[in-house]
Amino acid sequence: MKVLEVIEAGTIPYAEALDWQRQLAEDRIAGRLPHDVLLLLEHPPVVTLGRNSHVGNLLEPSGIEVFEVERGGDVTFHGPGQLVGYPILDLSAYKRDLHWYLRTLEQALIAALAVLDIPAERNAGFTGVWTRGRKIASIGIHVKQWVTWHGFALNVTTDLAHFDRIVPCGIQGVEMTSVERETVKGKRERLWDESVGAVIAGFENAFGVSVIPSPEGAARQEHASLRT
Amino acid sequence: MATRVHMEALSPTMEEGRLVKWTKHEGDAVKSGDTLAEVETDKAVMELVARADGQLLKVMVPEGTTVPVGNIVAWIGKPGEKVDGAGSQESGAGAPKPAAAAAAPAAKALAPAPAPAPVPVAAVSDATRVKASPLAKRIAKEAGVDLKLVQGSGPGGRVIKRDVEGAPAPSPAAPVAAPAPRPTPDARRTGVPYEDVPLTQIRKTIAKRLAASIGPIPHFFLTTEIDMERAAEAREALNQQLGEAGGKISFNDIIIKAVALALVQHRACNAWFQEDHIRYWNEVHIGMAVAIEDGLITPVIRNADLKNLREIGAESRELAGRARTRRLKPEEYTGATFSVSNLGMFDIDQFTAVINPPEAGIVAIGSIVPKPVPEGGGDRLVVRRRLRVTMSCDHRVIDGATGAAFLRTLKQMLENPLAMLL
Repeated sequence: MKVLEVIEAGTIPYAEALDWQRQLAEDRIAGRLPHDVLLLLEHPPVVTLGRNSHVGNLLEPSGIEVFEVERGGDVTFHGPGQLVGYPILDLSAYKRDLHWYLRTLEQALIAALAVLDIPAERNAGFTGVWTRGRKIASIGIHVKQWVTWHGFALNVTTDLAHFDRIVPCGIQGVEMTSVERETVKGKRERLWDESVGAVIAGFENAFGVSVIPSPEGAARQEHASLRT
Repeated sequence: MATRVHMEALSPTMEEGRLVKWTKHEGDAVKSGDTLAEVETDKAVMELVARADGQLLKVMVPEGTTVPVGNIVAWIGKPGEKVDGAGSQESGAGAPKPAAAAAAPAAKALAPAPAPAPVPVAAVSDATRVKASPLAKRIAKEAGVDLKLVQGSGPGGRVIKRDVEGAPAPSPAAPVAAPAPRPTPDARRTGVPYEDVPLTQIRKTIAKRLAASIGPIPHFFLTTEIDMERAAEAREALNQQLGEAGGKISFNDIIIKAVALALVQHRACNAWFQEDHIRYWNEVHIGMAVAIEDGLITPVIRNADLKNLREIGAESRELAGRARTRRLKPEEYTGATFSVSNLGMFDIDQFTAVINPPEAGIVAIGSIVPKPVPEGGGDRLVVRRRLRVTMSCDHRVIDGATGAAFLRTLKQMLENPLAMLL
């Protein structure tokens, strides 16, 4: 069975996480990393522009860090309460098919939301995950030699007002939502932990992988060495 | 000779990709593996990678252009080398789309592309090397087809899937891929690490129903009590032999070795449950549960059946030490085919362990305790050192009698340690 190491990394500044994933992807391509990895983390508030971005979709650019990055997609927001996942997967072991990968990522998130009792679905032509006509998770990926990085952002308890600064994903009139908003009863800490567990389970099912715990110390060490 | 750079397919159904950014520019030196450009479809960006060393001679499409899969987007070659730029540029939108065609042969039935301009094959083709898609190469290899003899119909004479499939069968003299080996009863001699046996309908039903009844893994438990007198004597003798210098052999080492040897005889218990099949391992890798500060990790003793007690002892001490300081590499705690959990040192008489999926079984080892046991037909009591072992079985893989047979062998091995030498 394919193995997926899940690293719960806590809150990490965007630039640092970007370096980390690029390094993990290079290691995966070169074979130095023998298995796939899923980074789960949060970012301090940041706006990122994908390769398909239109500057006009950044409505209120002041007061927040903005990054232009190599992932697919348009503009999006990351911030506290949003569960960001960066899968570093070697698609050669699955399917050399980015559409399959996008659809399977969506499937993993739909399965995760089902666990949280939120009915979710795809919206044909608009990559991402939607619930009751609102968008709850965004997806934007990058691949080199069939190794992926970048990934998804699931709003758990995100302050949705931040999305007013942008035209999320370049879709005019899109309304963003969160797990918290779609959940009738919601205690914040419980929601976060449940969402993390649900996403990991969603990955296991959608990708047919066996999740291995990350030796936390090793992950921190590795990450610390990148900071220097 | 100059090498073409083609628009690649990001998925088998993709017919065109948008070249969003050139990361190398005309005149830049490039090495095989360097990223030349980024291609986007939907929400995915893929790096287009150089497959040759040299200089990026010519860029054929500007950033932001949507290009059919298979079309030439750039040329790599020696500085100053001439490329037939104009010709290939003209082939633009009408050129064949090899990836789409290869993935879906039915697409051939669709209307042909309008008047595709000829692709300049002769000018750049390399006579010694056959150009073929990876899929075509794989199919050719499997079918034993010599690609040099196949006429390519892809762009630039590239051999694609349909060309290989239409190719004549290899002559008897040609090297043919060996037929897949049939599963043999004496599987350990084949040199193949494992064998996948598809689930039969009844197995599938058993798996589904039992899983639905109790949790994701339908556990059941078998307990046996083992007389450890002779194993204890053997251990004392061996440790005396080793003296102070060599590391001591523990009961745990003896148990791991016995479990591994018993699994060799009971391959039905040395298995992984994998959604639609059961993987019966021909190799024996024992996971050894080790308590760490805030949890549990199972380092793996690989090929434990082939290692002697001293090797097992040294390896398990070393792995357990590094497990406690969290210095294990992922490959050192994954891939076990069966596990052993030992709480004997905590004075636990007997317990049940939870299976570590996808493995199908685990044995829980209690303390070795002196107990009165009946002897000589039950007319007198003697004190013997006894051990209670409980096996947890995944019922989707192991049935009651299967697990019991394994446990009986394990008991025999430990009660008569000399049997391990056989």
